[in-house]
Amino acid sequence: MKQTIVLRVNGQDHQLEVKSYHTLLWVLRDHLKLFGVREGCGVGMCGACTALIDGHPVSTCLLFPAQVQGKEIVTIEGLAENGDLHPIQEAFIERTGFQCSFCTPGFILTTKALLEEHPNASEEEIREYLAGNLCRCGSYVKIMDSVKLAQQRLNGGKDS
Amino acid sequence: MTVGQSVRYIDAKERITGQIEYVLNMELPGMLYAKVLRSPFPHARIVEIDTSEAEKLPGVFTILTGADLLNDPEVRARFGPVYRDQGIVAVDKARFVGDAVAAVAAIDLDTAEEALDLIYVEYEELPAVFTPDEALAPGAALVHEKVMRRETSFADIILRAEDGSNIGNHFKLRKGDVEIGFAEADHIFEDTFSTPASQHVTMEPHVCVAQVDNSKNVTCWTSTQTPYIVRAQLAETFKAPQSQVRVIVPTLGGGYGAKTYPKIEPLTAMLAYKSGRPVKLTLTRAEDLISITKHAATIRMKTGIKADGTIVAREVESYWNAGAYADISPRLIKNGGYASPGPYKIPHVKVDSYAVYTNLPPAGAFRGYGVAQGAWAYETQMDMMAERLGIEPLEFRMKNFIGKGDTFATGEVVHEPMFSTLTQASADWIGWGKSSTPSNGSKRRGKGVTCIIKGTVTPSTSAALMRLNPDGSCTVLTSTVEMGQGSKTVFTQMIGEAFGLPPEKIKIVDPDTDITPYDLTTSSSRSTFSMGTALMMAGEDAKQQLRQAASDLLEAAPEDLEVVDGLVQVKGSPERSLTLAQVISKGRLGTVYGNGTFTTKGGIDPETGQGIASVHWHQAAAAAEVEVDIETGKVDILRLQTSLYTGKTINPINAELQSEGSVIFGQGKAVLEEMLYDNGQMINANLADYMVPSFLDVPADLGVALFEDHSPDAEAHGIGETTLPPVPPAIGNAIYNAVGVRLQHLPITPEKVLRALREKEQNKAETAS
Repeated sequence: MKQTIVLRVNGQDHQLEVKSYHTLLWVLRDHLKLFGVREGCGVGMCGACTALIDGHPVSTCLLFPAQVQGKEIVTIEGLAENGDLHPIQEAFIERTGFQCSFCTPGFILTTKALLEEHPNASEEEIREYLAGNLCRCGSYVKIMDSVKLAQQRLNGGKDS
Repeated sequence: MTVGQSVRYIDAKERITGQIEYVLNMELPGMLYAKVLRSPFPHARIVEIDTSEAEKLPGVFTILTGADLLNDPEVRARFGPVYRDQGIVAVDKARFVGDAVAAVAAIDLDTAEEALDLIYVEYEELPAVFTPDEALAPGAALVHEKVMRRETSFADIILRAEDGSNIGNHFKLRKGDVEIGFAEADHIFEDTFSTPASQHVTMEPHVCVAQVDNSKNVTCWTSTQTPYIVRAQLAETFKAPQSQVRVIVPTLGGGYGAKTYPKIEPLTAMLAYKSGRPVKLTLTRAEDLISITKHAATIRMKTGIKADGTIVAREVESYWNAGAYADISPRLIKNGGYASPGPYKIPHVKVDSYAVYTNLPPAGAFRGYGVAQGAWAYETQMDMMAERLGIEPLEFRMKNFIGKGDTFATGEVVHEPMFSTLTQASADWIGWGKSSTPSNGSKRRGKGVTCIIKGTVTPSTSAALMRLNPDGSCTVLTSTVEMGQGSKTVFTQMIGEAFGLPPEKIKIVDPDTDITPYDLTTSSSRSTFSMGTALMMAGEDAKQQLRQAASDLLEAAPEDLEVVDGLVQVKGSPERSLTLAQVISKGRLGTVYGNGTFTTKGGIDPETGQGIASVHWHQAAAAAEVEVDIETGKVDILRLQTSLYTGKTINPINAELQSEGSVIFGQGKAVLEEMLYDNGQMINANLADYMVPSFLDVPADLGVALFEDHSPDAEAHGIGETTLPPVPPAIGNAIYNAVGVRLQHLPITPEKVLRALREKEQNKAETAS
């Protein structure tokens, strides 16, 4: 069964003909070719398919497009502004917060939501908030360094 | 951009913007999508397959069955890296739950999936075997009736397998005479240890796109760690010369051994061949979990010790559950076998390790390559024996470690033995010997320390080409697969330093067997060392040509010229110099190719396992401090530290990052990960039930210390796996130290700890009454 929906993704409206049983993840990849959204598990456990829906990190493998019509969807492709990397992206580069980087877009988007909600999050709160994103390469120590560097800069602090 | 500095990933920007290319993103015009019909039975003869209904479904292009393979003289039905024992789809029997029985290529995934439901298969169920004990019992069902041998280029493998048995291979090592050793011993300890099957869980699953034209020119884009081995396989499958097969490998979303050797490539290519269209096959997580596993292993370790604590003899018998197909088990049990006596100087050693076929998903390469299973056994037994002898466990290790001039189990002298230094460093890091205060009354704290030795595949060959372009920029051609370990960054550093070129003038090309030269494999912690050495040889070759060409231009003998800072200059007269671009254009060189091939030498005796098993040795120690809740059995890992020998470190932050990853992998194996089966069916085949470490599992205090050789001729040692194997026994030893319960079977779950605590209490009560 096909349906027509309008999705607002990375600041642009897209009118799409989709099968009603296809997930948001499928539509973002297959229709919009946003390959920064990735399937790692298909059951909402790994966070590789994370997008921000009205600013909140959500596993797109668990949503249907019809559920998010009229909402603001942001994927990693929509994070850089005017070609400038987001400070969180800069921090992940500088602190090497990745290895194979399959999970990285999910971590960066979740970090964005975290630092908007809790600008002064403690290490413990950071770990808790990012617990839904899995990094199988085990880059967690450097991801923590990256998040803290981003936090410092977004809060107007100087690099330590 | 020099060697020894913490340089950022050269492809970092593509990685953090989601732009980096994986096979998963690939689409070709006219491409079909594949799905695989899998066996619901662990062992069953395929009586009949009827595809007629599925063929009628609009959008279905091709259905592949075993009969198609057997009836086509143009192709080979079976594949495998050592034995040709696996049907591209099953040709006679299904041998595990999930074995490929048929496959469909259709216009889209929905159609392919629908077609699977329309294929009718009649099975005749057969008795199945799931453990080595069952498989080796008299009259056991045979997984393979015959050994399906193939000509192998694996120079380091000795094959011992017979028709009519489930033994897939047997590795033997004999050093000294264990009988004499045990006769000399004052104490003999015998214990058994086991580790379960577990999985790599690469976040990117196995995925492949293939295209085969009507002259059987094969092109295959695949997420593999072994492009050249996949090429050889596809050439064999299609009975075509290797030059007709092109394997292209963009970056991988994780490998960890799961993507070594042919996996889904023969099937994808066969569907492309049959349909005449490009075909893409992407495994789902549930399929990927049973595509290849880490070997479950049971290891019996018998150790003879003198009264003063000197180990004089060790006998190891290990059984490795290979699953339904051999994959690389025949080699893995060799590496796992010779490593299993551990980093100790033992005059008398006997090892027998067996790969055993069962009706479970196939087992193959896994980060650590057999060393982790052995380390779990020997490092746990070291602590058990130390306690029985009343010797402090660190001191007991120090007394027996291989030192300068001492020989390993293979009889070879271990160069640069660092075991004592590394183990002491790790012990110091967690405050060995000092107690710390538990967080509350039901908690107990304890510490453990371990050390391991690991080899790398030997002999092996890596070839590198470097091309200097007319503008003086450099293109590096290697078949090393970038899978997140940072090989492109490391190669950029090496070439950057050798020629004085900035990173933006260096491009590292992804593996493409039409273009990039031979490499055995991106695994075994070998790329920085093996390919790095080949690349430096290629650099030297290019420099010689530059010096030769610049000799006339600068009016100096070639030996008086040097290549530095992107210039060719006269030694001692930097004013007499030309840029690389000037030498290439004025010398009319067009482009300059530098060529380098590096081959390591070695090999061990087939009867005794004595010889050169590894070109050099990877060494690491681990230390853990845990807190155990005696009311719940929950184990908190408070501190986890590893020390490793890196020789010459190329990129410290990268080395640290990769090693931290290995530690966390080890932690997952220690306390979380296990594939659970019910009658051969994996019952936790999803990431909700199969747990891998998350941010909350990783200790806040996780450390890695790199120990380097600062001499000018130091060589880089691989580090991709070294810090994994010592972690599980360090955690197990710390738990024993905390609460006095000894667990010999991984993973150490809260249930097991609690049960062991209860048993201990009961035994105590019984003894008291």
